[in-house]
Amino acid sequence: MPSRSSIYQPEEGKGVRSMAEESVMSVGDNKSANGWFGSEQRRLLIQEYGIFLAFVILVAVLSVSNEFFLTAGNISNVLLQTSINGVLAIGMTFVILTRGIDLSVGSVVALAGIVSASFVTSSATAGISGAPYPVALGLGIGLLVGIACGAVSGVIVSRFSVPAFVATLGMLSAARGMTLIYGGGRPVPALTPAFRWIGTGNILGIPAPVVILAVVFAVSWWILNRTRFGRYIYAVGGNPHAARTSGINITRTQFAVYVISGSLAGLAGMLLSARTGSALPQAGIAYELDAIAAVVIGGTSLSGGVGRVTGTLIGALIIGVMNNGLDLMGIQSYYQQVLKGALIVGAVMLDQKRNYGA
Amino acid sequence: MKRLMIALASATALLASSAMAQEKIKIGAAPYGLNAEFMQIWAAALQEHPAVKSGEVELTVFDGRYDALVQQDQFKTMATQKYNAIIFAPIDVDAGAAAVQTAADAGIPVIGSNTRVNSDLLTSYVGSDDTISGYMEAKTVLDKIGCKGNVVILEGPIGQSAQISRLEGNKKALAECPDVKILEDQTANWSRAEAQTLMENWLTAHPNQINGVIGQNDEMALGAIEAIKAAGLDLKSFTIAGIDGITDALHAVKAGEMTSILQDARAQAQGALDLAIFAAKKGDYKPQSDIWATYKDMPWKDGKEKIYNVPWTPVTAENVDQLLATRK
Amino acid sequence: MELLLEVEGLKKSFGGVAALRDGRFQLRAGTVHALCGGNGAGKSTFLKILMGIFSRDAGSIRRRGKEVEFANPADALASGIAIIEQELSPVPHMTVAENIYLGREPKARFGGIDFRAMNRSAQRLLDDLEFDIRATQYMMNLSVAQMQLVEIAKALSHDAEVIFMDEPTSAIGEREAQHLFAAIRRLQAQGRGIVYVSHRLSEIFQIADSYTVFRDGAYVGSGALADIDRPGLIRMIVGRELSEEFAKTNTPTSQPGIEVAALSCPNKIEDISFSVRKGEIFGIYGLMGAGRTEIFNCLFGLDRPSAGSIKVDGTEVSIAKPADAMAHGLALVTEDRKLTGLNLADSVRANICMASLPEMSPAFAMDRAREADASRGMREKFQIKAARDTMPVSGLSGGNQQKVVLGKWFLRNPKVLLLDEPTRGVDVGAKREIYRIISDFASSGGTVVMISSEIDEVLGMSDRIMVMRAGRSAGTFSREETDAQSLVHLST
Repeated sequence: MPSRSSIYQPEEGKGVRSMAEESVMSVGDNKSANGWFGSEQRRLLIQEYGIFLAFVILVAVLSVSNEFFLTAGNISNVLLQTSINGVLAIGMTFVILTRGIDLSVGSVVALAGIVSASFVTSSATAGISGAPYPVALGLGIGLLVGIACGAVSGVIVSRFSVPAFVATLGMLSAARGMTLIYGGGRPVPALTPAFRWIGTGNILGIPAPVVILAVVFAVSWWILNRTRFGRYIYAVGGNPHAARTSGINITRTQFAVYVISGSLAGLAGMLLSARTGSALPQAGIAYELDAIAAVVIGGTSLSGGVGRVTGTLIGALIIGVMNNGLDLMGIQSYYQQVLKGALIVGAVMLDQKRNYGA
Repeated sequence: MKRLMIALASATALLASSAMAQEKIKIGAAPYGLNAEFMQIWAAALQEHPAVKSGEVELTVFDGRYDALVQQDQFKTMATQKYNAIIFAPIDVDAGAAAVQTAADAGIPVIGSNTRVNSDLLTSYVGSDDTISGYMEAKTVLDKIGCKGNVVILEGPIGQSAQISRLEGNKKALAECPDVKILEDQTANWSRAEAQTLMENWLTAHPNQINGVIGQNDEMALGAIEAIKAAGLDLKSFTIAGIDGITDALHAVKAGEMTSILQDARAQAQGALDLAIFAAKKGDYKPQSDIWATYKDMPWKDGKEKIYNVPWTPVTAENVDQLLATRK
Repeated sequence: MELLLEVEGLKKSFGGVAALRDGRFQLRAGTVHALCGGNGAGKSTFLKILMGIFSRDAGSIRRRGKEVEFANPADALASGIAIIEQELSPVPHMTVAENIYLGREPKARFGGIDFRAMNRSAQRLLDDLEFDIRATQYMMNLSVAQMQLVEIAKALSHDAEVIFMDEPTSAIGEREAQHLFAAIRRLQAQGRGIVYVSHRLSEIFQIADSYTVFRDGAYVGSGALADIDRPGLIRMIVGRELSEEFAKTNTPTSQPGIEVAALSCPNKIEDISFSVRKGEIFGIYGLMGAGRTEIFNCLFGLDRPSAGSIKVDGTEVSIAKPADAMAHGLALVTEDRKLTGLNLADSVRANICMASLPEMSPAFAMDRAREADASRGMREKFQIKAARDTMPVSGLSGGNQQKVVLGKWFLRNPKVLLLDEPTRGVDVGAKREIYRIISDFASSGGTVVMISSEIDEVLGMSDRIMVMRAGRSAGTFSREETDAQSLVHLST
């Protein structure tokens, strides 16, 4: 039911005609204020739990249609398969919240993966001289590569005001090229067991990548919801002009989100190589699209300022669960792609409906 | 950028060659893409050919970047710059035909390598028959599991010629073992990560039922191995096969985790180059590569054959160390 | 006499909430009719129904005695009703003529557009209205005021008999407003009916001859403006007695609050000097584009002045970015709260806290209890009407949104308050509350600099007034020694 308030929710200041001037919240107009309250609650309910509800329904349907879906082993599998996209999508959430986009994450996955791998391979030919080095060094190097890529994109976007789409498209190409240059286009195999532990190990029976995803999620949730920097991100994304007038350093905030996205892409790259046992130069192709899909399905607005990292996590889980479920039922992966496409568009359509009450 | 550099390089080469005597033979090599190991070995083998090393042949390699259109444009460039012959590994059987036509119109002979082209205009073709490798790998798996039990097939991107031919070979071998059931049959797009995910899910859907894994390339077979390891299952209870003989797979073969069949990129490349020089010199040439001595089953026959089939070599515990030594 | 437009019993509700309960309206030919009402009175809903954007739930609309039904804006236009909306929707990369004739361009041979004919008729239209705009100019090169004039020309180009103007002067200056009024009078003389919607009562008394008042979604009354005075009209609009419109209680002290000397910014302002004492309200009056907002931008670190000095509390300060200005106790309420004041995507609470984030997060993590307290405090202090402070600020009325912006800055306990058009788009009731807030702040020793293009407001609130003209100061006057005529005269 379209409520009055939902009609009055255009994203003003972004070219949408506003009617807030004539909102029901007029002087002494308490009756309509109560009406607003009701629909507002309803709206928040859908916003907060709609995507969660969709997730629960999906899980329920798959549980009924496949006997193996709800087994401990498979749940662990789904989480494992979601971990890399989840980490990337969380980084992407930071960027999209500031009205940006990071198209480079797939390439950064490959670059960080191959550079870090060259430090922790026991292959005599593929690694750098002296390899294998301790895991900590490999991990540090991989993160640094991610941070460096993010910092370059961040400077280009925040200081030189190049549109994020363009800046990170450039990084997408450059990082892939650097990956091929660095590794001579060859994979780096034979990673040390110690390094591979981050992809294959267990902590109290939970796969290590899942634990890493959980930590990344918890820290990100805390940053976005509980810290000053989180408030800056929402303000910059919601209205950069108002944020600037309120004394918020937009340049620094924008720069920081690309560094976060880059470092998480670096982490994801290492998780991927640790899982597959070898760092491949073709790794991570089109990963940025799945990450963006998870963010969008999770209800974060591409126009910035609105969205939650919890939604992103569920968005990533929905993609993971769907792929897993369809695999279990023996459905061709080509259908999975079609379904994913429908899901992305459907989620945004719902979002529009909810925002504009159309 | 890369294309620009290649263009610049070939432009300078053109100037240099026209300044000197018209003795050097200009040969262009157009592989579909240089991102994966196989084509890198292929391209490196071309540079290692005696005729290139001696300076008799001037070789330029064009990276097709996995795009049929890019390859077509590169053919136009080579036609304009009057190359003497072209070695062609197309991204797609059918999409390559237009490029070959371009060269034929300019009177440049084209030698196919690795991947066939649906065109009569090809002077000759040096490659390995994917149907045979598909048959060989499936046969290895089926023999090991005793012609009974369950298998899964990890396919290449549906519609690509290698996938079509290897599947044909797979099916031929499977037809000989009617008791073997194909539990799953899906594409993992030649990708290790995709195959790993697929295999994880299959292991869940068919617990303790999968006996054999037929990977249409090594990458996907390696992905399956990782999935089995991650699930904490014993690799010994699976028979896994791949094709191509990439370095990681050679290591896995050495460790007894899988079998692989070597597709000899070096032979495909050098054989094609010999044929290209032969065509450029209008028959006044004797092959210089050692591959003709290595493969007795593939005689030179005065360069007159239309198709040269480079035999497949199963990677075994015996030859794996020797093969690994060539990958330094 | 036949009525151009007659509306009775118009009803519309959204999701059970009545936005319009009883819309009544009568328009005679050759009159300018003021449609008055506070925010939430139902004016916009009424307009949107007449435009064919909303469908009515009940009621009748008669055009020259004939019942009409509009399914979309095109229907309304076809029946001779044009509406000039408050917020503009120009196509920036097209010329003025192209904007005016968008979608109905004169055809040339071979299906092309006859640009010459189009430019000629657009220019004639603009000339007839005495608007100083060339039809071939690109829309993006025009000022907001000029765009508004183009929008008016566009509405008139439809040859409409009934013309609604929704807050047409909200973005334009006094001089352009006078042009607009002249145009309105010409239309009136042609026998058309003009419906004038505005919060600015002085304009209504200047241009309109009759009025209709809506309150809480229903018709309250109508009549001739000659038969009612300003307090009477205000009483009808707000539904209660308002003691005095401008609650001015402050007395300037002798200590300087902010001193500006020889401030210049190339192509924007030149050699601006003024000094405001604590407890003083200093008004800045001028036309759009006279360099008023630019002064604030320089003071607040949003723009870099090329020369000049700024002293706060007698000490010279250097301000390179908004954070510097804030550290020196300055606060800036910008001209357009939606564009530069609020994060509409976020909650009331987040907006109130937006300028105080570092103070509320001593150890990086936000002190959420302090956020909630601060928000509650400001909502109580300014009587911000919101169901909860976690609801989106976009759901508030203009007046309440403006109070949120004020709350955001008062939370910082500012010493100097820079106000740019503090009551734009705010209804009469909320305006009074904002005046009281400003006045209280000055009374307690605060320094206020207020930009306004509303003459009544400037004269009613300021102790002294600086008039800006073409980026320079045209003089500073105390409120006693000046009046509306001389302010307008000096500013043009």
